Amino acid sequence: MKPRNYRKAVILFFLVLAALGFVLPSYQLLAFNQHLFLAINVLALNFCLGLGGQISLAQGAFAGLGAYGSVILHGFFPGASPLIVPVCAGGAFLAAALLSLPMERLGEGFLAMATLGVSLIFTNLILTFDGLTGGSAGLMVSAPLVIPGVGEVSGDREYFLLFLGLLALGAYVFLSLRKSRLGRALQACKDDPPAASSCGVNRPMVRALAFGLGAALSALSGVLYGHYSGFISPEQYGLELSLMALLFLVIGGPGNLMRPILAALVLETALGQMHFLGDARTLCNGLLLGAALLLGYWRESKGKPLLPGL
Amino acid sequence: MVTLYLAQIVNSGLALGAVYGIMALGFSLIYNSSRLINFAQGELLLLGGLTLFSLSQAAHLGPLTALLAAGGCGYLLGRLLFATTLGLSINASPLRQLMLTVAASLCWQGVAILVWGKNPLLLPQLLPIPELRAGPIFLSRDTATALTLAVCSVLVLSLILGYTRIGRAIRAVSMNAVAARLQGVNPTTCRALSFAMAGALGALAAMAVGPQTMLRYDMGLGIGLKGFVAATIGGYTSLWKVFFGGLALGALEAVLVLVFSGELKETVTYALLILLLILAPHAGGHGERS
Repeated sequence: MKPRNYRKAVILFFLVLAALGFVLPSYQLLAFNQHLFLAINVLALNFCLGLGGQISLAQGAFAGLGAYGSVILHGFFPGASPLIVPVCAGGAFLAAALLSLPMERLGEGFLAMATLGVSLIFTNLILTFDGLTGGSAGLMVSAPLVIPGVGEVSGDREYFLLFLGLLALGAYVFLSLRKSRLGRALQACKDDPPAASSCGVNRPMVRALAFGLGAALSALSGVLYGHYSGFISPEQYGLELSLMALLFLVIGGPGNLMRPILAALVLETALGQMHFLGDARTLCNGLLLGAALLLGYWRESKGKPLLPGL
Repeated sequence: MVTLYLAQIVNSGLALGAVYGIMALGFSLIYNSSRLINFAQGELLLLGGLTLFSLSQAAHLGPLTALLAAGGCGYLLGRLLFATTLGLSINASPLRQLMLTVAASLCWQGVAILVWGKNPLLLPQLLPIPELRAGPIFLSRDTATALTLAVCSVLVLSLILGYTRIGRAIRAVSMNAVAARLQGVNPTTCRALSFAMAGALGALAAMAVGPQTMLRYDMGLGIGLKGFVAATIGGYTSLWKVFFGGLALGALEAVLVLVFSGELKETVTYALLILLLILAPHAGGHGERS
């Protein structure tokens, strides 16, 4: 597709979704909002895995950072949303970028383990400081999100529009980043790290930026989701969220913009209908992930020699 | 009082440390032969232990049959893991291979939920090893079993890797796969075998950990990651160092539990992991391979 047509298609997609938000009855939006929350996290993971080629299993922790940060700060300063939300996003950006800087040189496997560690550390901290966070019992949200000029945000439809807006914002940043100098530097890091370095790309720095942007997007989605659900608990932002984000990103293909988002929205809606799956859901997720990985591999390796170097 | 505390630290630290040590051995075997971080390592332990549980329910298992059964199931599970992950994607990018093991971990966890349910299951103590008392040192039955299993597996493993033809082939592949291939070694066979040995080690670890903490469908990732931390402490290269890494980690956790009542145990452990990965210049620390 030509770039201009592609952009048109993306804009059309978001307009159709927004129209859906006005047409659908609000009880159906509840499930849709959850899928949108997941889709935003898929897009956030796309920043570091799709653009920079770095796996992260800490996406759930960053979403949780946003949710807990915003809910706790709102408890202290109710009504200060215009300040608190940027602080949460910026905090997540800084935390992720600073974490990523020294971890960049670890390589795939070790990075995955380290980010898995970050995710488990986050859950453990939430459980330990239960005076502040409510521990495993969770935390009721005391103060609503306030948008200056609009007032308090409540209701499924309002949150649907906010989630959709955030997804659109993320998509815009993703598209403009992919075409920019920074995006090409990231692409180089993904394709051949040593070559990128020798061409003068400051690898830890560009990757830290991508990692931080993804974390900030996750944190923003966490802020919205925390206030939307009215109750936050460690399980909502645990490893499962990170794994689901990875699952749908791999199904859609890392580096693509729309396909992972569509995969998350469509498949999650379809799987949500299948109540008969019940306990088989984990197995189903695993099989889907494995099948997507193997299909992608076979498609890639078609036409290549069977052994590299022969 | 202090000696009692110390004795308790030694006892509980050794019990879990031995398990981490066995897990760490499996990790380093697979990492060295295939340069792959195996996310499904904990699930090898989980399914090995659960199969053993079902076997022990169905028939009376003597100590020798229990060991043989554990080794056998673990071996088969390891072969299965290899056949479904690395065996299918031997030329894929390392990232894809890694994510395939994540998928395998999810699948196996799903199987565990479907077949054995979500409740924790207590694996009975299958080996008749008595508790040990020597002065102030006291090792409970669980600890003694775990330690014996661990030390025996290190010994057997180092004998296999050091003195048999296939063991030398595995070491050759882990040093340089291309050169080993030129000498007539089949790297794929060796990698499959290292997965199978990791599976057997996982089942043995399940025999050690099952009576202590019970087996639950979601224990895999946590205990796998602990094994990974232990392997990182030990540095992946020497069997005994890796094993002692596990013991050190177990002791550290026991100290944390007694001093801080265990609340920040996980945070400290994983923070240590991240620090070690960043600071320690071991083989994997600089992940760029051509």
